[in-house]
Amino acid sequence: MPVGGNKQAAGVTELAEAIVTSPLSGREWDVSGGSSRMLHSRVLTDYSASGFAKIAALEGGNSLEYCFGCGKCVPVCPVDLVSEYGPRKIHRAVQTGLDLFKSDELWKCTTCGNCLRVCPKEVNMIEVMPAVREVAMVEGTIPDELQQIMEKTFRYGNALGENPRRRPAWTKGAGVDVRVLASDPSPVDVLFYVEDYWSFHPRGQQAAQAFARIMTSLNVDFAILGAEEKTLGDSQRLAGEKGLFEALMEEVIDVLAKYQFNRIVTPDPHGFNALKKVYPKYGHTFEALHYSQLLAPLLEQIDFQGSLEATVTFHDPCYLGRHNGEYEAPRKIIEAIPGVKLLEMGRCRENSYCCGGGGGGMWLDGFNANHLSERLSERRVREAAATGADILAVACPYEVSRFEDAAKSTGNEGLRVMDIAEMVDIAMRGEDWRS
Amino acid sequence: MEERLVVIGGGPAGISAAIAAAELGAPVTVIEKNAYLGGRPIEENYASLTPYLESAEEVMGRLIAQLTSFENVDVLTSSKVVGASRDHAPFELDVLTGSATSKVEAASVIIATGFTHFDPGRETQLYGYYEFPDVIALQDLEAMLKEGKVTRPSNGETPQRICFVQCVGSRDRQIGNEYCSKVCCGVASKEATEIKLLIPSAEVFIFYIDMRMYGYWENQIYWPAQEKHHVQYVKGIITEVLPKDGKLLVRGEDTTMGRPMEVLMDLVVLSVGMEASPGTRQMAALLGVKQNKYGFIEAANSPLDTVSTSVPGVYAVGAALGPSDLEDCASSGGLAAAKAVRDLHALA
Repeated sequence: MPVGGNKQAAGVTELAEAIVTSPLSGREWDVSGGSSRMLHSRVLTDYSASGFAKIAALEGGNSLEYCFGCGKCVPVCPVDLVSEYGPRKIHRAVQTGLDLFKSDELWKCTTCGNCLRVCPKEVNMIEVMPAVREVAMVEGTIPDELQQIMEKTFRYGNALGENPRRRPAWTKGAGVDVRVLASDPSPVDVLFYVEDYWSFHPRGQQAAQAFARIMTSLNVDFAILGAEEKTLGDSQRLAGEKGLFEALMEEVIDVLAKYQFNRIVTPDPHGFNALKKVYPKYGHTFEALHYSQLLAPLLEQIDFQGSLEATVTFHDPCYLGRHNGEYEAPRKIIEAIPGVKLLEMGRCRENSYCCGGGGGGMWLDGFNANHLSERLSERRVREAAATGADILAVACPYEVSRFEDAAKSTGNEGLRVMDIAEMVDIAMRGEDWRS
Repeated sequence: MEERLVVIGGGPAGISAAIAAAELGAPVTVIEKNAYLGGRPIEENYASLTPYLESAEEVMGRLIAQLTSFENVDVLTSSKVVGASRDHAPFELDVLTGSATSKVEAASVIIATGFTHFDPGRETQLYGYYEFPDVIALQDLEAMLKEGKVTRPSNGETPQRICFVQCVGSRDRQIGNEYCSKVCCGVASKEATEIKLLIPSAEVFIFYIDMRMYGYWENQIYWPAQEKHHVQYVKGIITEVLPKDGKLLVRGEDTTMGRPMEVLMDLVVLSVGMEASPGTRQMAALLGVKQNKYGFIEAANSPLDTVSTSVPGVYAVGAALGPSDLEDCASSGGLAAAKAVRDLHALA
């Protein structure tokens, strides 16, 4: 463009390498060549139903096309708050030619379900995304780190790639006897399905030990599968590995068939979701409880030796709350602990924010670092810290490690992240949570 | 001479009013300018009616058969009201049938003279309706659908890419039509559905400012068009239609993407709105009835009396009052009949 009557030489419009630092999280991410994208034509030259048709051909894929653009999903989409996303935008992008099967957009959704909660047209991204991901898995267009998790799950029966024989290792530090069904197969009331992160992650193991002590003190008749346990694989399913989920289910069903029990209790809302909603579709019906649902009605029997003396805020797990409607049980537990004051975050219950771990997000930290301005867990921790609470209470095994990392990275080290079972255990035994 | 209840206009609203009055025992005269009854749906060759996609000829045929079965109903076709005086009875109307003039004494008059489709050749609406054969209007497409064959007028080929442009002639201060024409979103969605049923391989697009699907039309027409028939709705209106390589390039802004759009089409359908028909304007002037600034007849006691006008004994129904769908026509027709029959009894 002529300036002052003289034609100007073209300026630099593109940086081959560019790193941008988030003013919020301090994280750096790569936007190399980003400005060149602005030089592409902005003109939309076609709209097509064909992208929708390809997705609608998949089981559960038909509703993406139903979007009429109201935008209600966007403000409640946890991913949109830290990037450019939201189901409405995905709908328009597909309508204007995005190949979702090969797009990075495919992997951002955590299947938290908040969009579906508000969608007037019932566009069901919790079905759409896994259906498309399943095809992408087959075609091999899947982030490497997620692929590795799928391979670990396939080989070892757990997402952490741990030796399955080490599953019951956590019981050694519990201080109470934990029966393993393989060595004592007599009938049991509660089958405690420990799931991956309570079995193997150090902070999860502490929560598992606490829960075992609580059940013992309540005289609950319980046992675990030990080395015979495999993950229920619900997050693998939602990340697109339906085949792996189904294979795991067959093995799980075979193991469960060996023992007599009344109900399955699991700390993992994802596993709980599988047992409650998905297994019955395949004809496998069990009485499944989230551990908060087992504990809530029994709490008055606990003889608390001490008082927690803490303000607490609670993060509703997506797959306990929104997906399965349980908001009260964990709150009953928190409020029954002596010396606890519960402070709710602005986003709680039905509108709870997502920790970022669902739908495969647990295993996409590297991928997401390049796509999001900060982790969802970091944003959530900020919100928790803003309540002024001492403790961020969680009821999902994914969350302790996610939120502890986020508390550190956001400078909120003063916020303690604790499982509700740990809180009950500490008060029950009269210990000091600060020590 | 017997005083009668006179309905001017034999379309959906006029026939509905006449039937209701006849059912109440009133002597009714229907005056229709065309040689046939049925109004706009028949005159403009509508294929089907919104929202149920029933054949316009069948629906109107049933209504006409019901009307003409009454012994107390006279139908004067090819007839126009050319004069009115109040020297005798409430109204004495001069009716011209062919070249013959007659007088009809009316206890009350129901104006059912309807609307006319907006002429898409006016400023700010320069979509090339008169330049490009493949730019057509809703009623042109209706006529094609009625024949069961949708083609590109330019070459007779089957169109594979068809778009509708909403709000042509409506909601525009510069044109002077600030109102929404109420039915075009539904009609366009209905026609889009019919195109998909006729040409399954076609891609059909609707460019809109707001989709205005009031009440049940939302899930009677709009949702099925999108969900079952895969009509692509794009928020953002077309501003220009340009010829390109034997096709039409429609240009506009996709407002939710915030980006310009330039898309090639085989056929462009303008969703033209409603304007007061010449008959509505003429009858209002002849009977001294107050019109609004758009030329439609003003309902004097709106909102809860939708049919009384500024002149006692004169009522207006259907699209003579402003943009109306068929339910509006039937409802206002029935209400006007009740009031007009009341007038007849008051005189007796």
